[in-house]
Parts: sequence; structure tokens; C-alpha cells
Amino acid sequence: MPEHPEYFHGSRAPYGHEALIRRGVTSMHTIVCVKQVLDPEIPPAKFKIDPGTKQVIPPPGVPPVISVFDERAVEAACRLKDKHKGKITVISMGSAKAADVIKHALSMGADDGFVLQDEAFEGLDSFGTAYVLGKAIQKIGGYDLVLCGRQAADWGAGQVGSILAEILGIPVVTLACAIEAVDKTLKVKRMVKDGYEVLEAPMPCLVTVSSEIGLPRLPAGMALMLARKKQIPVWKAQDIGAESSQLDKANAHTEVTGLSVPTRKTECEIIAGNTPGEAAANLASKLIKLI
Amino acid sequence: VNPVSATYWGISGYAIFWVLFAIAIGLFVQRAYFLFRLMRLGNPENRFDRIGQRIKTMLVEVVPQWCSLKTVTQKDLAGIGHALLFWGFSLFLISYIIFIGLAGGLGLSPVIEGTPFETVYSSILDIAALWVIIVLIWAAIRRYVVRAERLQISAEAAIILIVVFCLMVLHICIEGFGFAGSGVSKDWPPVGAAFAHFLSGTGISKSALIGVYRGAWWLHYALILGFMVYIPRSKHLHVLASLVNAFFKPLGPKVVLEPIPLEGAETFGASRIQDFTWKDLLDLYACAVCGRCHVNCPAQLSGKTLSPREVIHNLKEHLLEAGPELLASKLNGKAEASLESTGETPAEIQAGTQPKAQPKTMIGDVVTEEEIWACTTCGACQEVCPVNIEHIRKIIDMRRNLVLSQSKMPESAQLMLRNMQQRGHPWAGIQSMRLRGDWTSDQELKVLAEGDNADTLFWVGCTGALVERNVKATLSMTRVLKAAGVDFGVLGEAETCCGDPARRAGYEFQFQIMAEQNIEIFKSHDIKEIITSCPHCYNTLKHEYPTFGGDFRVVHYTELIADLIRQGKLKLTNELNSKLTYHDPCYLGRYNSVYQEPRRILQAIPKTKLEEMERSRDKGFCCGGGGGLMWIEEQPGTTKINQMRLEDVLKTGAETVVTACPYCLQMFEDSIEHKGLKDSMKARDLVELVEAAMQQP
Repeated sequence: MPEHPEYFHGSRAPYGHEALIRRGVTSMHTIVCVKQVLDPEIPPAKFKIDPGTKQVIPPPGVPPVISVFDERAVEAACRLKDKHKGKITVISMGSAKAADVIKHALSMGADDGFVLQDEAFEGLDSFGTAYVLGKAIQKIGGYDLVLCGRQAADWGAGQVGSILAEILGIPVVTLACAIEAVDKTLKVKRMVKDGYEVLEAPMPCLVTVSSEIGLPRLPAGMALMLARKKQIPVWKAQDIGAESSQLDKANAHTEVTGLSVPTRKTECEIIAGNTPGEAAANLASKLIKLI
Repeated sequence: VNPVSATYWGISGYAIFWVLFAIAIGLFVQRAYFLFRLMRLGNPENRFDRIGQRIKTMLVEVVPQWCSLKTVTQKDLAGIGHALLFWGFSLFLISYIIFIGLAGGLGLSPVIEGTPFETVYSSILDIAALWVIIVLIWAAIRRYVVRAERLQISAEAAIILIVVFCLMVLHICIEGFGFAGSGVSKDWPPVGAAFAHFLSGTGISKSALIGVYRGAWWLHYALILGFMVYIPRSKHLHVLASLVNAFFKPLGPKVVLEPIPLEGAETFGASRIQDFTWKDLLDLYACAVCGRCHVNCPAQLSGKTLSPREVIHNLKEHLLEAGPELLASKLNGKAEASLESTGETPAEIQAGTQPKAQPKTMIGDVVTEEEIWACTTCGACQEVCPVNIEHIRKIIDMRRNLVLSQSKMPESAQLMLRNMQQRGHPWAGIQSMRLRGDWTSDQELKVLAEGDNADTLFWVGCTGALVERNVKATLSMTRVLKAAGVDFGVLGEAETCCGDPARRAGYEFQFQIMAEQNIEIFKSHDIKEIITSCPHCYNTLKHEYPTFGGDFRVVHYTELIADLIRQGKLKLTNELNSKLTYHDPCYLGRYNSVYQEPRRILQAIPKTKLEEMERSRDKGFCCGGGGGLMWIEEQPGTTKINQMRLEDVLKTGAETVVTACPYCLQMFEDSIEHKGLKDSMKARDLVELVEAAMQQP
């Protein structure tokens, strides 16, 4: 919890606020969960899977990237930090390479990061993943806010955030497009089908972030250079006190029964017209039929 | 007769002479010292190396007036006028020291007068005065009647034309009235003597003639002093500053971008005038607002708001306006520091002082973001600048600030830079259906794996590896190299971007990371020589990697192929019966002066007819793709630069436009398609023509 919540007055901190920060007054502590995924920009024709092991075969020479929604969660955390100061901790469960996405978040403005890597973590479903993340978050402790992407860019299940909140026993708001901290309360604008709604939740709480929050910043300043050389600590199952029974695949709630690349059929039709206007009218009538 | 030796209203002429002189010198030094202090506000930069070479470069450029004569074109002869004015006025400047300073002020006229030296020198001056007057009239007509596009109407220009004109007329008057008044009859100096003959014939009394002579002499003297005081206070400061600027010009590559130091930097790039280096500020003094950059800038010519002339001029105005306060706060710096140590926080100090009127921000008020992002870094401005101003690095310094400190950039720029950071190349998503190493599949190539060594590396570049059209040229390149027996390796999927688009777009840290990584890769394969097909990679690897510890022999393929043809290792025998024109890529031509090699290759192909465009070689016009702008959306409502360049191509009547740069090739493909000329006009990479013309193995 912030030790001096009276210094949060919406967007503007009062004079002297910086001074308090300098004297070591911590404010908001945000933990962001990020995932490393296969680059979604890979041309579709290059996307291959192994139906036997039900796994994706990564194409050569393409570095994996931070999941796009998770990157926006980091952006949301950075914006809160820009306003209220404080600290951002980033965690990622994955391979040793996941250090790269932690570094990416550090170069955007996060302060600290950990990789959660263990053989036992491989192939976990959403419940198992949320359990591991929850254990790590409990180990870090002292947080006001946990942010996740609305879903992972690879599997797109969108479950981890909500399950994680359940495990941590804190309120959850999903699909956020704007987040604002007022005193001990978080004001969250969340996307719904035909617009948005504004919710308030007491901190600590968990929010999953949607892409409508806006473009993530370009990691550009000195942080980019510093993050590169940083050693990212790796936590194993025993480091976070994860029980092996919880990581047992036999206890998984979901199972992948098949994996295939969708076949896509493309048909091309040139809509003609004597004038551009006529062509546009023809196109419009064609589209109306399709809807 | 020396007018200074006379007394005026009981005061010695010498006293008047030296008092006036002291006042003028005082005013001159006061201003010069102020300008010097302003310049010192800039960041340090070492331009004091190779002093001897610098002096030589300066003299070679300025004395024969190569600086202004190099800019002369059929349409713009003003450089000749400048040279004549420079030489004429230089002669006068020397004469002022000898005939006014020594002869007049020091009273040495008896020693100098009547000597053959005086006769010869003043005869030369007479002729110089005539040509200077003619040039002044020509200049006035150009500026006020013809109204040349690059010139602006300014009072400063008019003042200087009038003052110099008066100096010339007074010079002749002094000679004429002086000779006639003192009754000297001689034939040399010709103009003065002829005027004296005429005056003697008018019957005016000698005392009146002497009176006019003295009046003219003192007026002349006063004008010279006034001129000296005025120069550092006007744009004519360039007569002094450009000389110094020629001394400090870059001796190596024309565009020098300094790496951002990783320690101690608080802000990155330039957001305030004092964030530039002193050399950048000296550049501002050197500008005479001649506008040659303005009429050669592709951004300006295509209707963007950017004008290099305005950028430099506005920065200078800003420096002069904001300078005094900056100097004052620099002086108070120590006082402020001691205040801070009392424990008060800056916020508390801020709260205590009344906010002043918002000072101008450099980025925004002086130079707009729109202007900063419109530059293609083509270098046309710097090439044509007679006073060695380095425009490009100022623009990149401001981009650095926008990107690194303010995170403000066009969305398209941000997308490109994100790709650079995450994917190691600027092309992504639907822009490329390929992966980096795809082009090497089914090819017999030495793809360097970890631990493999090669002396020579063919560095493909992002566009050549990822964009369908450019991959064709890349494959041509490998076949040509093999046919010529060149032993080379490629990096395949391990190759990343050289960093050029990141650096030009101000994303300096990403560039530095990429440079270091690439140098490490080159060293791990023990590479000695690198062949590049992209002039941007070429320039970066050749001129910018050495700063980061990467010293390799870097050649552009046009240099290599021209050499292979000369050695007879590559024989071009197939006829290429086509009328073509060659477009100089900026980073190959202007940046690296490779103009001859591509043309030599074309001439080696039987039956090619090369038609040069009007704007070619060092005056070549950009394709629009440099400086990261290949990926940054061109400002709406303006003409596309590649369309303008295609018009140049069409004027030659050529069927094929040949270039040696993947960006240029892309830009031409786009503009040809846009204009619906796909059937009649082809864009080709030079290496594709070489492959078509060579003996098939």
C-alpha cells in the first residue's frame, strides 16, 4: 500500500512531491505478468506445427517477442509510474529466453524483473500458469496492483488474469482501456461490446489490459542500454514454494486434443465500374450482401 | 596630401582618426566577444585535429573562391558574381590597411606616395572598383528586379550593397579630387586619373577640390569603420564566420554523427539551442541566407514545410534572442548551486518565483516537428552550401531528442523503430512475406554458421533480403560475384539491420546496440572485407562502424564490379539495346563520391545509351527514401518526392532507370506503378543489368 496516499490527487502531484520521492517514500508498486510468444508478424505461410507433439515449430532466425497485450500492460504500468512514481516489477514464466521480454519491459521503464523457469512449468494450462505466477507474486509481496494482458497473443485463452486474481484473493477488472489511481482506489475504464464502463476497485487489485489503452512506448532512453546488460534472476519451483502436486499435468483442468494450421481460402474479385464512384457503389452493394 | 595630417576645428586629424578607430574597434570587439561567448554555450567537440590540413583546406576553398564557384549552374551564375566581389573587395581590404592605416593614420604617406607600388596597386584597385560596381548592379537587379527564388528581400542585403557601392564611388572620387586638387597630372591609376583630368577641365578652384577630397576621404574612412561595426551585427557576419567555418569543416565523411555518450548525459539530442555543439552554433553565424539549400532540398521542392535555409536562419535568430539570458544564467550557475545545497528542493524554489513569459521552445516554436521529420538526409543542402554548414546532424540531433527523451514521433516512424528494436530490421508484417534467411534457400552459397570463417562477406541488407523485388537483385548479385570468381560468404538468417534507419530517425541507442552486435558477428567470422549492395549499409559500415571498433574494408558492389571489369575478370558481352538513365543514390554519390564507377559499368555494357538527367551526380535529386523516410509516411498534401524524380527520368526519354540502391529501386517501382507506366518504364538495379550482359557461364 502507498505509505503516503494523500499525495495522489489525480493527475497532478503537489509541489514537494518529488522531494518526498527522493527521500525514499515509495508509492505505487505494480507487478506486471508478461509472456514471450512467437512473433505474430511472421508471415502466415511460415507458420508450422508438429501435429504429433501438438507444438509450434518456430521458424529459424525469428526472435520471439513480448505478447502484444502484455506489452500494453507494461505501458499501462509505466503511465501510472509517470504520474505517481513508484515501482514496477515484471515477471515472466517461460524459457531462459524469457529474460529478453523482461529486459524489454525494463527498457520501457520497469524497475525489476524475474524469470520463472522450471521443467515443471512447461506445458502448464491456464490454471497451472496462474498458480505459478501467484506464488511468485506472493513471494515479491507488497504490491498495489497486478497487471496482465487481456490474453496471450499465441493461445488467446484470456483466463490467467482472472484465475490469478482468484488465487491472490483480490478484485479483478478485465479488458481495461484506461486506468487511473485515486487515493487507494483504482478507476478502470473497461471495454464492453457496445462501448465502455467505468469501474472502481480498491487496491490491491488485478487488471487485465486491452489494446485500446494505446500504443506502447518505444524503449528509447538510457534504460534501453542499461537493460541490455542486466542479469535477470531466474526463480525455480522451489524458489517460489510451488508445490509439485499443483504442477502435475494430471491435475490440469484443460487438455490440448489437437492443433492445426487453419486453411485459408482466398478468392479475389475485381469490382469494376466505369467511374471510381460507380466502382465504389458496386463494391458497397456487394459488401452489404455479405453482411 | 594626407588629410589626416591636417587639423580640423583645431583638433589634430590624427586624434580624430584614432579616436574613431578606437570606437569602431571597440564596438567590433564587443560584438565579436559576445558572439564568441554565445558560441561557447554549445557542447564541446574536437575539431582541432590536423591543423595544417585545415588551414590548407580553408585557403584552397576560400582564396580561389571554390566555395561559391562550385555552386554555379547554367541557371544560377551568382557564384561568379560572389567570386568577383570577394576578390575585388579583398584587394580593397588590403588597400585600406596600406593606404588608410599606414599612409593616413600613421602618416607614412610620404613614403608610400609616388612609389611604383602605389601606382600599380591603385591601378588594379581602379579596375577592381569598376568590376565591383558592375557586380553590385547585377546583384541588385537579381535581388530586386529578377527576384531569384532562393533570395529573400531584406534590408541587410540592401544596406551592404549600398555601402559597398558608396565605398567604390568614394574611392574614385578621392583619387579624382585628390589628383585634381593637388595639381598632379598622371595617367595611372586610369579611372582616377581620367576623372582628375575631367575635374581640372571644369575650372573648379583647387581649394574647393581639396575640400571635397578631404570630405570624401573622411566619409570613406567613416564608412569603412561603420562597415566593420555593422558586419558582426548582420547576416554579413558570414564574411568572417564562413572563413572560420571552412577551417573547422569535417575533413572526412561529410555527415558526421557523434555517438551519444553513455555516461553523464541528462537529456539526449538537442531540445535547447545549447544542446548543439559549438561547431553547430558557428554554422549558424556562417549562414548568409543565400538560399541555395532552399532551392535544392527535396522536401522543400515537394511542398513540405521544411526549408534548410529557414531552419538555420531561425536557429540563429533564436540563439541571438535566447543567448543573453543563457549567458546570464550560466554566470549565475554557481550561485544557484549554492542555493540548492541549503536543502531547498528545486520544486520549492520554483514555487517561490513568479512564472515568467513562456520562453520559446526550440523544437516546436523555432523548428517544427513537421520540419524535423521531413528531411530525407539526402545531403543536397550540405553539398551546395558555400559555407560548409552541416544541416543534417542538427536535424538528427533534434530527432534524437524527440525519440529518446520525449518519445514523440510520427506513428509510422514508431512502428519502424519498434521493428528495429524487436525484430532487427525495419520491414515487418504484411510488408514482408519473407524471413531473413529465405533468400538463401536453394542457392549454392557459403552461409556462415557459428565458427565458420570467411575473408569476404557479402552483406545483403534488410531490403535486399526481405522485399521480393529486391531479392531478385540480391540473387543477381550472388551470380555475378560467382561468375567473377569472388569467394564470399553470407550471413543468411543471422544478418540483422546495419542500424542506418534507426540512426537517421534519431533512435541512437538502438543503432549503437546494432553496430556493436554486428561488429561482434564480423569479428567472430574473422571477416576482412565486406561487399554491400545497399549504399546506406555501405556508408554506415564504412564510416560509422569504425567509431565502435569495427574497422573493415568496405566496398560497394559498383566499386567492386567496376574493378572486376577493369581487370578482365568480368566480361560484359551481351548487347543491351536500351536507352537508360542512371539515378545517383545519395548515400553512394554525395555521401561517398562514387559517381564514376556505376557509369563506367554501364559504359562497359555493349550498346547501352546512357542519358544523364539534368539533376545528376552531386546535384542528383533524392528518391525520397533516405533518412528513415522509406518507412515514415510522407506528409499529406504534398507532392511525393519519388514522383518528382520519376518526372526527371521521363524527361530524358529513357526506357529504363538504373540505380544501385534498394531504397531507390523501391521508390522508382512505386512511382512507376503509381503513374501507370509499368509497360513502358522499367526500374532496374545496376547489378541486374550486369548479370544480363555478362557471359553466361
